[in-house]
This record gives sequence, C-alpha cells and structure tokens, in this order.
Amino acid sequence: MTINEFQEKLLAEAMGTGFKEAEVYYEKSESFRVMTFKGEIDSYETSEEGGLGFRGLYNGKMGYAYTEKIEEASIAFLIDGAKANAEVLDEDDGTDIFKGSETYAKHNFYSEELAQVPTLEKIELIKSIEAKVYAYDPRIVTLNYCALQDFSEERVMANNKGLSLNEKQNGLIIFISAVVKDGEEMKTGSCIKMTRNFAELDAEAIAKEVAEEALSSLGERSIPTKKYPIIMRHDASASLLATFAPVFSAENTQAGQSLLKGKVGEKIAADTFMLLDDPSHPDAISGSNFDGEGVATQKRAIVSNGTLETLLHNRKTAKKDGVVTTGHARKSSYKSTLTIAPLNMYIAPGNKSKEELIASVEEGIFITGLAGLHSGASTVSGDFSLAATGFHIKDGKIASAVKQMTIAGNFFDYLKDIVETGADLEFMPGGYGSPSLVVKELSVTVD
Amino acid sequence: MIKQSIIENVLEAALSTGGDFSEVFIEDKFMNMMELQGGKIEKSISGRDFGIGIRIFSGLQSIYTYTTDFSEEGLINAAKRAALAIKGGGSGTIHPLQKETVSAIHKIVQMPQTVEHARKAAVMKKANEIARNYDARIKQAELRYIDEEQNVLIANSEGKFVEDTRVHSRLSIQAIASDGIEMQTGFYGPGAHAGFEFIENLDLNHYAGEAARIAVTMLKADECPSGKFPVIIDNEFGGVIFHEACGHGLEATSVAKNNSVFANRIGEKVAPDIVTYIDDGTLPNEWGSLNIDDEGEKTRKNVLIEDGILKGYLVDKFNARRMNTEATGSSRRQSYRFNPTSRMTNTYIAPGKSMPEEIIASTEHGIYAKYMGGGSVNPATGDYNFAVAEAYLVKDGKIDRPVRGATLIGNGAKTLQLVDMVGNNLGHGAGMCGSISGSLPVNVGQPMIRVSEITVGGTKGE
Repeated sequence: MTINEFQEKLLAEAMGTGFKEAEVYYEKSESFRVMTFKGEIDSYETSEEGGLGFRGLYNGKMGYAYTEKIEEASIAFLIDGAKANAEVLDEDDGTDIFKGSETYAKHNFYSEELAQVPTLEKIELIKSIEAKVYAYDPRIVTLNYCALQDFSEERVMANNKGLSLNEKQNGLIIFISAVVKDGEEMKTGSCIKMTRNFAELDAEAIAKEVAEEALSSLGERSIPTKKYPIIMRHDASASLLATFAPVFSAENTQAGQSLLKGKVGEKIAADTFMLLDDPSHPDAISGSNFDGEGVATQKRAIVSNGTLETLLHNRKTAKKDGVVTTGHARKSSYKSTLTIAPLNMYIAPGNKSKEELIASVEEGIFITGLAGLHSGASTVSGDFSLAATGFHIKDGKIASAVKQMTIAGNFFDYLKDIVETGADLEFMPGGYGSPSLVVKELSVTVD
Repeated sequence: MIKQSIIENVLEAALSTGGDFSEVFIEDKFMNMMELQGGKIEKSISGRDFGIGIRIFSGLQSIYTYTTDFSEEGLINAAKRAALAIKGGGSGTIHPLQKETVSAIHKIVQMPQTVEHARKAAVMKKANEIARNYDARIKQAELRYIDEEQNVLIANSEGKFVEDTRVHSRLSIQAIASDGIEMQTGFYGPGAHAGFEFIENLDLNHYAGEAARIAVTMLKADECPSGKFPVIIDNEFGGVIFHEACGHGLEATSVAKNNSVFANRIGEKVAPDIVTYIDDGTLPNEWGSLNIDDEGEKTRKNVLIEDGILKGYLVDKFNARRMNTEATGSSRRQSYRFNPTSRMTNTYIAPGKSMPEEIIASTEHGIYAKYMGGGSVNPATGDYNFAVAEAYLVKDGKIDRPVRGATLIGNGAKTLQLVDMVGNNLGHGAGMCGSISGSLPVNVGQPMIRVSEITVGGTKGE
C-alpha cells in the first residue's frame, strides 16, 4: 500500500466513523552518519524511515495516534486509538483543524548540490579533519568524537478541509571533540559545524578551531568564588536561551508555569535586548514555511528594546488569549501532539567584536560552555545553577582557563542585566542563535 | 514479527561483502502517553513504533542501518547497501538460527495495552488531588503517565534467535508552589519494568505528597552558600551522582577507546574499602531491568567495584572486540534507530554499615542533599555536575534550614575516593539516561552516602 493510498483511505474512513475533522501528518527521512577513530571508519550508519501521525476531532475533542507501520491494519489502529484518546480528554481541546493560510512564503530549505555530494567525499572530509586535529599539537591525545552526519526529510500535511502542504529539507552536521593532556591535566574541546553548502567546509579551519578550543583550556587556575561580570560566548548564550525558551510559550503562561504571564507590553529585559524568531533565517539549518498546524510562518520580534512584544502562540492558546496565532505550533514529529516552540529563535547582534567585548571588562569571566542545563535550570522559577567552562578576564584580557566552576542566577534578572551585545551571531543545530553577551554579574563558584 | 526465512536472507545479504558478523533487531512497540494539567487530562496519544535495525561488523568497523520498510525486498536492499561500506576481506558465515526461550524474570500482570485510558486517568487525578491538597501554596500539578510495550526480535549470524517483550510503566508528578511572587517545583517519578499493576499499587500519598512537600519547602529556602563542604547524599535517586561520576566512565563505550579515567585499571584501588558498585539488570521488575539486552544476551549482575577495587566494565559485543574481552549483557539502545552500545541498567552502591542518623550526627558543617535532580558528565575527563532538588544545611550534626540552587561539581574519580561513610538503607530511584545510543530507563541507587568534600555552587557567597 503506498503512502498516498494509505492517507486517502485513512481520511475517508475517519470521516465515516464519527470524526468531524481529521488531519494526517507524514514524515519520511534519510540520514547518513560516519564516525572515524584513528584514521579508520569506526561506525557507519544509514537510515530510511517514515511515520504517520493522525489527529481528528471526535465529539468535540482532538484525539491523536501515530504509526510507523504503513499497512492496511494500521488504519483501524489509528482510528480506534485517536477515538480512545479523544474520549479520555476532560474538555474540548479548544482548537480545530486549520483550513490553511492565504499565502505561504516559498523559502527553500533543500540543497540539490548537498544531496549530490558522494559519500566518499564526505568520508574523506571527516578523515582529513581528524588527521589535521592529531597533527596540530602533540598534546592532543585522542578524539572522543569525530562524526559527520547528513539528513534529508520530507513532511506532508493534509486534512479534510482541503489543506495540502509539503516541504523538503536537508543539511549536514560535523561534530568533533578532542581530548588534550598536559601532565596530569586533561581537557576536552569540541566544535560543531552545520551547513547546506558542502563546499564551504574547510578541513584546516575546523581542525584548528577544535584543537585550539581544547588546548586553550589547559593551564587552568582557581580564582576566588564570588560574583563576577560575565561574558557569555555566543554558543553558551544560545544554549541558555534554548533552555529558557519555554518561558515565552503561551501554553506555559496559561498553565501558570511561566513568570511571563501577563507581561506582554512590559519591560522584561535590558533596552538593547532584541529577541527574534525567524523560521527562514539563512544561517540556521532548520526552517519551515508552515507550522505544525499548517499556519504560514513569518519572522517576528518577541522582545523589542527590552519589551515583551508577544508570547509564542498556536491556534489554541491564541483563541484563549483572544489574539491571533503567531505560527508557533510545533509538531516535533508525527509522534507528538501539538505544542509550542520557536523555530529559529535568536538574540539580535550588536556591533562589537568578541575582542572588543573582552576588552570592555576589567575583571570577569568569559564563559565558553555550560553543562547540566537539563537539570540545573528551572523554567518555572527562572533559577539556574550550572557547571561552566571558561576563562578569567583580567585587565580586559584573557588571563587563564578557570578550573571547574558553576554559575548561578535567575534568567529573568539575567535578561535585565545584559550590558552589551556582540556582533558574532551564530546558530546552534537546535535552531537557537545568539551573539556573545556581556552580563552585569553572576555568582561564580570555582573548584 | 517477520518470517525466519526473511531474517536469514537479510543476515546473509548483510555479509555478502565480507563482513564477519551480522545482526537483525526488529522492534514493534506500542505506547500510550497522557498528560494532566490544571486537574484535566489535556493530552493523550497512542502510537506504534515499528522498524528494523541491521548491524554488520568487519573487524573493528561497525556498520548500522535501519529502516521502517519491512518488505523482504526493502530489507535485503537495506542490508546490501549497508554491506557496501565494507571493502572485501573475509567471508562471514551464517550459523543456523537456534530459537532461545527467554525466562521471564520480570513478571507482568496487567499489560498496559489492555487497560482502559479511564483507569489510567483516574490514578493521575487522584495523585493530582493529593498534591493540590497538600498545601494552599500548591498552585499547579502536572502529571505525566507513560506506558510502553516493546516487542523485540534479535537474530544474528552466530545463530542467535530470541524474542522478548519489555513493559515499562511510569507516573511523573511535578508540583508547582507559589507564594504570589516566586515559583518552585518538586518532582517525583516512580517507574518500573512492570505493567499497570505497578501504577495501581503506587503509594500516591507518598509520591504526590513528596513532590508537593519539596515544592513548598523550596519556596521558603535560602540561597545555597557556595564553597567546599562535606555532602551527605540521601538514598534512592541520590545514586545519580555515582551514575554520572563513575558509571559512565565504566562503560566500554568510553573505556574501549581509552577515553575514560578508569581505562586499563582493573585490579586497582579506585575507591575506599567501603565502596562496592554494582550494575544488575536482573533485579525483578526494576525500571532499568531487562531479561535480555539489546544484543540478545541475558542480563546479569556485574560487580564493577568491589571493596574499592576496580573489578570490571560494562561491555557490549562490538567494544568487546576492541578490548579483547567478553560482553557483559549490557548492550542497550533506545530503539531500532540506534546502534547499541554498553550502557547501565540498575546501578547502585551496595549498602554499608552506618545508620543514616549516625551519618548526619557526625557531620559538623555541611550540605544534606535529600533529593537530587539530574546531572551530566564528560566521560573523557570524569568532570561531572548535577543539581540538588532539595537541600539543607547541616549544622552541629543536625539538619538545619533548607537551601536552594545547589549544584555539585567535581571529578568522578576523585569524588569516589572521598566517600567516607556508607549507610545501610539501600534504595533505588528511576531515571532516564541519555547517551550515544539514546535515552533509556535506568535505575540509580544507593544507601545514604557521605563525601568528605564536594564543590557546591550556589548563589550566596561563603
């Protein structure tokens, strides 16, 4: 049974068995990943997969079910499952199936050139990067991760109201982590590159970046535990933003789980702070012309000059708050119910280079990485206490790597304490981007 | 799930270019998930995951491919495409498949797929009531119920052919307390390798009550001081520190490539005499238990550290080649989407002799971590971090006021050396562990432990 036959039959049968409205969401993807270890291919993975999510309005409530087994018998599984799930809900989901936006942007997220790059070339590239990292410095003892991965996927959304959307995207990610050793001191440094343009990947430059990242963290020193001015490097800043992005979701404010409840129009951050979401930002690897409900997406300011302009909405939360959806319904896969999330959320860059930012701090800490974000940060209270890696800044210059440390504060205070924004905006694979930021102070504890 | 003759043909196609081992992993999984918010069931979804993973070894090269296409033609093509990554070499042979019967150690009474949603919802609502009624400051509770029935079939070119059904049930309770200005949360998430009987028999007063109590307690907690302190870590989920601090470093995933501080140290003293560290996948119905691992090997009790001496690692079939040793029934993967590797199951520190009261009474000034949050580790260096969900100051041998925002950082190998008291109250806690082969149910456990010094990161200076 082809997927098209399956979809048509499913929608038709659903409408004949009590569903008032119904939608199917199908994804098909392919990926390739190669990891090398000391010049040899250590692991080589390929995949081809697909799955289908179904949702439908049954007795006024929205039931969901999904399957990865596309066969005749799955039609009954999906219909019965979605009905049972609708029945157990305590109230109307408050939403219905969307008939479609009037127009959609036509951004392209798929590169034919990338799709044509031979596997052998990709393997040669990652092997060459690995060799160049080892050759860079004798203190590089091993690479604990040296991987190249590419993916392509196609999404199709169709419903009984005539909506039919589809989109393709692809991309390539390189992740390398090197272990360096000097005497008893052992450190790691990593680097991630993502692109849709294979030709722009420069093995030499990538090797240098990861080697320098690891080597520079040697020679660590302890410094006194106290509050310090902080520079969050772009990647550390993006990972903190990603962790706290749920506070901007209307789903969370409506559930009483975000302190931004009732704050639209209010000042929540420093004047210079601009937070945007751009589903088609050219520097990000993911993108989409429509959201998880089929609503056309567009670039939006979430925080403008420190003022909260809007929360992130889907059609259900927008209806509840009496506003128009912002196109932030997220279906992270056919396995998911709808939730709310940005696509490419980023902090707008300023004018100063990273070096200028460092020079502007007399004494402080330059944070290059955060760990424990899944457990040491609460989106409900805004409190965070996280393990961090970075450098001591003295007299406007990097003085030395700092021993293991934690930084602690509250995200809502942090937003207000942003003093300066750098020009070095970069996106992370998860779709969050930031330039480096100077923050007034955070509590720093050093081992 | 798929005819034996097709599996044999796939195993053969996988070895067509000279690989020396091939394996097929078929997964057919049914799941239900429900979420309750504001007293109402707001989300409910069911689904079926189905896919096939094919693995080929050629010496120290591992090829993995997976697909959701279950036609014979599709599978043979996938195997052949994967085999193209191997360049010539030896010629692997297929041994006739010998069906093994799995002795089910973990008895499942009520398969969750046969239980109506309404009964599951009723438990969630009851837990919600308990949390909400605990204190007027509890403004919200968010509950999540999940069950999974994972059917697997594992066959390989050595003649292994084995099937198993894994059933997991879990109820997670998050309570949110607010005094009108601030908000704090408390969490408890019991889970088991068991059916709906586990959920129906849960002591909800305890679990939902504790989630609510933690949230309210943290609302009135002071900022945690930072510095180096003796730290008492309570039992059950407290074991997450050793999961991060040394468990990951004992997995062949990092040991085989010398990317672990514990590599090449069998027989060495790595901890004080009072520390014995065990990974045991056979504990009846525990969250991290399995009859067989994801390579089809029987799980077992692996003593990793005995009386402070490093005894062994957790090893999977592929890394066993690099290490020139045997697999230990520790190979796991989240689903057919993942190439399996060595992972923990139920890991715990064996009980010692100290009474918990005695441990607290003998601590003059320190931190008592009653409930831990999660954490992470860099396996290459052993540097770990994790969050404390409920912490107290200890003063003059007594538990003093609650403090919040405590994060513990340190180095696993060093922290292990600093364990100076081990309690007699072993308990296990359920968690999810994320690593290279996906997110897996694991138990972390321990009795109450004291570490003579850990760096505590907080918001308040010394």
